[in-house]
Amino acid sequence: MRDIFSWLQFDFMKLAFAAILIITPLFGLLGTMIVSRKMAFFSDALGHSALTGIAVGVVFGVQDTNLSMVLFAVVFALLLNKISSRNTANTDTVISVFSSFSIAVGLAILSKGGNFSQYSSLLVGDVLSITRKEILYLLVIFLVTLVFWCLCSNGLQALSLHRSLAKSKGIPVTLLEYLFAVLVALIVMLSIKWVGILIINALLILPAAASRNLSANLREYHFFAVLFSMFSGVLGLIISYYTNVATGPTIVIIASILYFATYFYGRKYLQ
Amino acid sequence: MKNKYVFVTLLLTVTALLGLGFTWGYGRLEAEERKEELLVVTSFYPMYVAALNVAGGCEGVTVENLSEPQTGCLHDFQLTPEDMRLLSEADVFVINGGGMESFLTEAAREYPGLAIIDAGAAVFSGDHAAEEETAPAVAEDAASAVAEDAAHAAEEESGHAHSENAHAWMSIGHYREQIAAIRDGLMETDPAHAAYYEAQAEAYLSKINDFAAEAESLKAMTQGQPVLLFHEAFAYLAEDYGLIVEGILNLDEERQVSAGEVADLMELIEREKIQIILAEALYGRDMGDTIEAETDCKVYYLDTLTRAESDTSAPAGGAKKGEAEDGAPAGGAKKGEAEDGAPADGGAADSWLRGMERNLEILREAFGAKSAQGPEDIEVAVTGVERRD
Repeated sequence: MRDIFSWLQFDFMKLAFAAILIITPLFGLLGTMIVSRKMAFFSDALGHSALTGIAVGVVFGVQDTNLSMVLFAVVFALLLNKISSRNTANTDTVISVFSSFSIAVGLAILSKGGNFSQYSSLLVGDVLSITRKEILYLLVIFLVTLVFWCLCSNGLQALSLHRSLAKSKGIPVTLLEYLFAVLVALIVMLSIKWVGILIINALLILPAAASRNLSANLREYHFFAVLFSMFSGVLGLIISYYTNVATGPTIVIIASILYFATYFYGRKYLQ
Repeated sequence: MKNKYVFVTLLLTVTALLGLGFTWGYGRLEAEERKEELLVVTSFYPMYVAALNVAGGCEGVTVENLSEPQTGCLHDFQLTPEDMRLLSEADVFVINGGGMESFLTEAAREYPGLAIIDAGAAVFSGDHAAEEETAPAVAEDAASAVAEDAAHAAEEESGHAHSENAHAWMSIGHYREQIAAIRDGLMETDPAHAAYYEAQAEAYLSKINDFAAEAESLKAMTQGQPVLLFHEAFAYLAEDYGLIVEGILNLDEERQVSAGEVADLMELIEREKIQIILAEALYGRDMGDTIEAETDCKVYYLDTLTRAESDTSAPAGGAKKGEAEDGAPAGGAKKGEAEDGAPADGGAADSWLRGMERNLEILREAFGAKSAQGPEDIEVAVTGVERRD
């Protein structure tokens, strides 16, 4: 039997572990806001746009597709935000149209010449191939998010409760909305390679949703979300190491289990 | 209020315990001690078979395959933590080269101490006529350089890497070169067993030579016949049998064929009066059915030898036991070792030969039936082939 901590003896596992320790609290935090603002679909669409971002980068011959991916996602997020702030059309539909269009464009460009296979790893993600430099990026975005959170969390909360009221209180609602959209775009793009397009949204939504099942106030809401997120991340990584399955899905499965457990608990005892 | 925190603590503890508990149990199932001095890891199935024939059964040497045997071409493949661990414990890493393992280079770079045997170095450098070393590349110090080279190839010529057709094991000649490269590489990294490797490789090469002679005898029938390929791996096979390749439609992985391509293909079949198409069952089946329905062509499904055979396709009864062992990558090697010295347990070790033999039989039926001009024969041949699946 291997030693309990033998999984930490490899560099790739150390890096993956560090990445998870950085990404998961972030996801927990952002997730709370995404769930409160009912933006689950928004972040999903954003994840899908990663493919288009890469495709655009390939078309324009950008060396570092990370760059084109992030740029495209920011533009995409701003655009989506603009559209969803207009209450005229059905927001869901519009986001869906954008999402499908962007993924179709991405697939069309990337599959030209039968080369799509080299990008298919993006779909599932691979936390094990993370490099030190990329951890540094994550660390930077982590700090940015913390600062943003300290400064703007209250404003965002007010905004999600009642937009007009928040506005009348002198909170710069539009600016906050755009900043938040950009932040989500940045984080989704920087972590998509490790988590994968197909499940990144699950990681954003599940811990916050589970936490919402339990919490009575904002402090609890944040606390549980971060706790659940980190817990599923770390446990998922360890289990995937020993059972030889991909890491992202394992994490999502654990997060889902937490969600269902809290859901039933919440319905039974907290109503 | 208090209740809630108790619940969460309980929930997390139970989940963690259950998860880790199951994992631990699973780990015990899979657990295997590895005290061997030399661990040879291969990148995928054909390389595993090749390495098994050279090093299998040698005392103190374990041959393990990185990707699970079911993973065919490496494009579908994602590294699991287990693979990374295996790689980090490996002493020698045998790869096919030619851009096939582009996904692994990054991982390999993480372990500079790993000796990489690029079995295809000789094969592909010839095509390149580049500055690559002529000797089969293996050197502890040069390992990272090799990995970097390969990474370059993967980055810069991602499309190109494939277009130069990395399926070298499908060619009898190239396969022989690969065996020799693996032998030389192993002899260099592990001089203690050099004699063993040499003898094993010699024995295996002679088996391959026997097969080559058989293939040569079929050539009389196949020489100069026009065919269409649905998988570029068969280009080498066509070369060996002297077939004239009129066109290649590369059907694999996530490739989606456009309507225009299919139309072009129909036209080509019409124009060149092609009657035989060689395809791979997994990816070529749908297109094969379409073409068969639309034209007079017969589609024959050959094996690219990248998968461990499933029980249904194994022709010999004796092979079954061996195949079952193949489920776990280590199985074949372990087995070989247990039967002190003889790597040939009828399982993985002979799978290249068996696969090539089957392909040869299918070709014999295909072209034999064609020259005999007996329509019923063709029907029989085709259905017989299709049952393989």
